[in-house]
Amino acid sequence: MIKDDFFKTLASPWLWGIVLLGAMLPMVLSSYYTHILTIALVYVALASAWNIVGGMSGQISLAHSLFIGTGAMLSAALLVKLGINMWAGLVIAAATAGLLGAIIAWIDFRFQLGHLSFVLITLAFAEMASIVVEGWDFLGGASGLLLPQDTGNFLDFQFGGGRGAFWVMLGLATIIVLVNVAILNSPLGYYLRTIRDNEKAAQAIGVNVLRQKTTAMVISAVLTSIVGTAYVRYLTFADPYLLASPVITIEIVLFATVGGLGRAYGPALGALLLVPLGEVLRGKLGGAVPGLHYFIYGIVVIVVILATPSGLLPLFERLFWRRSRMLPKI
Amino acid sequence: MALLEVDKVSKRFGGLLALNGVSFAVEKGGILGIIGPNGAGKTTLFGVISGFIRPSSGDVHFDGVRITGISPDKLTRRGLVRSFQIVQTFADMTALDVVTTAALTRRPIREATDYAADVLTRVGLGKKLDETPATLSLQDKKLLELAKCVATDPQCILLDEVMAGLTMAETEAPIGIIRELNRQGVTFVMVEHVIPVIMRLATSMVVINFGEKIAEAAPEEIVKDSKVVEAYFGEHLDA
Repeated sequence: MIKDDFFKTLASPWLWGIVLLGAMLPMVLSSYYTHILTIALVYVALASAWNIVGGMSGQISLAHSLFIGTGAMLSAALLVKLGINMWAGLVIAAATAGLLGAIIAWIDFRFQLGHLSFVLITLAFAEMASIVVEGWDFLGGASGLLLPQDTGNFLDFQFGGGRGAFWVMLGLATIIVLVNVAILNSPLGYYLRTIRDNEKAAQAIGVNVLRQKTTAMVISAVLTSIVGTAYVRYLTFADPYLLASPVITIEIVLFATVGGLGRAYGPALGALLLVPLGEVLRGKLGGAVPGLHYFIYGIVVIVVILATPSGLLPLFERLFWRRSRMLPKI
Repeated sequence: MALLEVDKVSKRFGGLLALNGVSFAVEKGGILGIIGPNGAGKTTLFGVISGFIRPSSGDVHFDGVRITGISPDKLTRRGLVRSFQIVQTFADMTALDVVTTAALTRRPIREATDYAADVLTRVGLGKKLDETPATLSLQDKKLLELAKCVATDPQCILLDEVMAGLTMAETEAPIGIIRELNRQGVTFVMVEHVIPVIMRLATSMVVINFGEKIAEAAPEEIVKDSKVVEAYFGEHLDA
């Protein structure tokens, strides 16, 4: 099912070394920096989950706020309004997100949407989702939902805030990046990349386009929803304007693109660099000249995209790992 | 027994009748050449057989089963695969990646990559595994089209102008590969503009003009057919 390269990655001391070092960071960092890194890991997880659809099969989905919103708002509502355990809420929300993903993939196939139509249709789904959340009291309406305090009770999906949340996010982000590695080393990865590059030719060599696109979308939606549930637990407040708004998808697309679309570690790299940069800029400059941090952040993003259109990861590879097989031999 | 049967296939695009009741059959192990002037309907016919175009009427049978309206990917898995006249490129995949995907049709991934490398070596692209298709020469792109088909382990390959744009010398490589595959039992249907090439390969020929079959015969017979000569060169002046 999966090529050996995946198991080599799993057995790599580099991978686990980096994860272990990362896991020790909250011991030495202040709670402020731990918070920034936790948010960065949320985006590593989200951008990597999005990458399965947006990067590998090349479908720029703007529907992902719908999946984040499902994971966050639905599981929060089930807990607050109906008293349903958040672990169960996580599963229910993930299943719902997977179903929504399958519906979107089917619509895309049934109506043979081009790239632009796909972007617009998924955006329409995301907009509808935010209207539903803001208008429906069960999901918290416009005022959102406040979750019970996190007392660290694992059975209630509580991880004790701060460090606990950091470790949960680190685990989720690692798993989702590894899912990316696994897909790229399995038939699904080959199918998706062929579909991205040339759908007609993919069909001619035996690729079932609907099945593979649906599989990708469902995996991506389920993972995104799970991150949404963990994220809302960390935030304790289910804010519809953050968790169910298309703006969050734009950020995800940005991080994935800057890092390297379709690559296993690209979106993770983008999020790990850009989230802390944005936060630090805001912290240092936000008070001085309002909006200046956004301006600098924007310039950095533009420069990166112009300098290396395929993302930072390929650039880093050229600089540090010249032996990589993907590169033209000089 | 006929492996592939085309039965009174018609295709209408709005007011244009692109195919009008075309019928023919290909024997197992045969090489059928389809020729005809530009716009005769050859590519439409290929689209219908390979499942990309649904015919307005008529049927296609493959290996004894009616396959009209079955999607191209299912046909490929059944053993009927096509190449494209306009070489299909892949922006971000190497030749090996593309052919590996084709090999996944019938093989687990652990074997697919090795098999794909083997197929690419057989068609003469063994040194170009890591190149992206867009950087290949036209001849190599055509060989890659052929390799993609071969890697799916087909019973029958539909080749759409695989020789077009190649010099006579360059056609020798694909001709050799097609002969070798045919010897191993693969059936071919080839649409071709390069008449000398198809004369050398085909075991039978079908001529199409204005969407209709105007002749069907052995290669050496077909060139004597007055309707065929007319379709290509116009009427005889002394007739």
